[in-house]
Amino acid sequence: MRDRMPVTQVEENHWTPEERAEFSRRRKGRNFLLLGVLGGFCVLIYAIALVKLHEYGQMW
Amino acid sequence: MSDSVLDRADLGATAADWVALLKPRVVSLVVFTGAIGLVIAPVHINPVLALTAILCIAVGAGASGAINMWYDRDIDLIMQRTRSRPIPMGRISPAGALGFGVVLAVLSVMVMAMATNLIAATVLAVSICFYVFVYTMWLKRRTPQNIVIGGAAGAFPAVIGWAAATGSITALPILLFAIVFFWTPPHFWSLSLFASGDYERAGVPMLPVVKGARYTRWCIVIYTLLLVPLTLAPYAMGLLGPIYGATALVLGLGFIFQSWRVLRDDQDAQGLSRTQNAPARAAFKYSILYLFVLFAAAAVDRLV
Repeated sequence: MRDRMPVTQVEENHWTPEERAEFSRRRKGRNFLLLGVLGGFCVLIYAIALVKLHEYGQMW
Repeated sequence: MSDSVLDRADLGATAADWVALLKPRVVSLVVFTGAIGLVIAPVHINPVLALTAILCIAVGAGASGAINMWYDRDIDLIMQRTRSRPIPMGRISPAGALGFGVVLAVLSVMVMAMATNLIAATVLAVSICFYVFVYTMWLKRRTPQNIVIGGAAGAFPAVIGWAAATGSITALPILLFAIVFFWTPPHFWSLSLFASGDYERAGVPMLPVVKGARYTRWCIVIYTLLLVPLTLAPYAMGLLGPIYGATALVLGLGFIFQSWRVLRDDQDAQGLSRTQNAPARAAFKYSILYLFVLFAAAAVDRLV
């Protein structure tokens, strides 16, 4: 089981307010990173499609 | 907030931990050599596609690093230099790191194929597989020649950059590949001279651990002497101009001087340094500067 995802939420009820705030801060940071990566990926694919279609008239 | 809470692994990974899995410092060198491959190619490529190619090279290299960290998590825990990585610290699970690396590797190759061409995508895929399967899984723990052969993985980006722009592979990118290939051993052996204790504890058969420091010093000199004429080949063959040629010569003489200092370091009978490996540390730093300036000179030469 140690190779699986770290158990974070199981202990949540026993956390101090300080620990809970740190957990939330890290989760927020990860979520914003993922949002940025996914948004950037969509923009990238769109830009590639525009350039390829404009310059070569086809994607492949 | 107290440091003890900030250091707690069971509170989950930070965004920075996931970025650290990509080995950003290694990626910066890879991105640079890849970008140089693109810049010196004699073909115009749309800037959006060029930036995409560089991004794919960076993500592919980062993905290889993440898979490497997954595989090497046992020895990373032992080595001082790698102990604070996200997996040994328990901030990211091994399975999470492996999944992250594999997904990014596949995506980087797919996007490279879509944005540029199949040759660039194929070389990118080969470089990722080479780093993961040949270097990390096969060579690293088996032979002191690990970084000699494994160095090829870091030599691919310039070829990928060139292939992304031209759709072909010619003499110049092959020479750039060879330059990075021959640069890697003196670069890494300089590092391993002053970090050999770490490798020894982890059971990684780096050259100083297996053959001793004196033998390693000679190998650094020999590989540097092989490297310098090779860096002059693009000028001698008329592929790059005098700016590059002069830079390669001056830098090469500097590298030979640095490696000579490593050989002549004040040492005991076993070749162990009495100067805390000051020349090896200097040679390691110089080798990084050397590659950056050499490749920058190639770009300047092509652009001027």
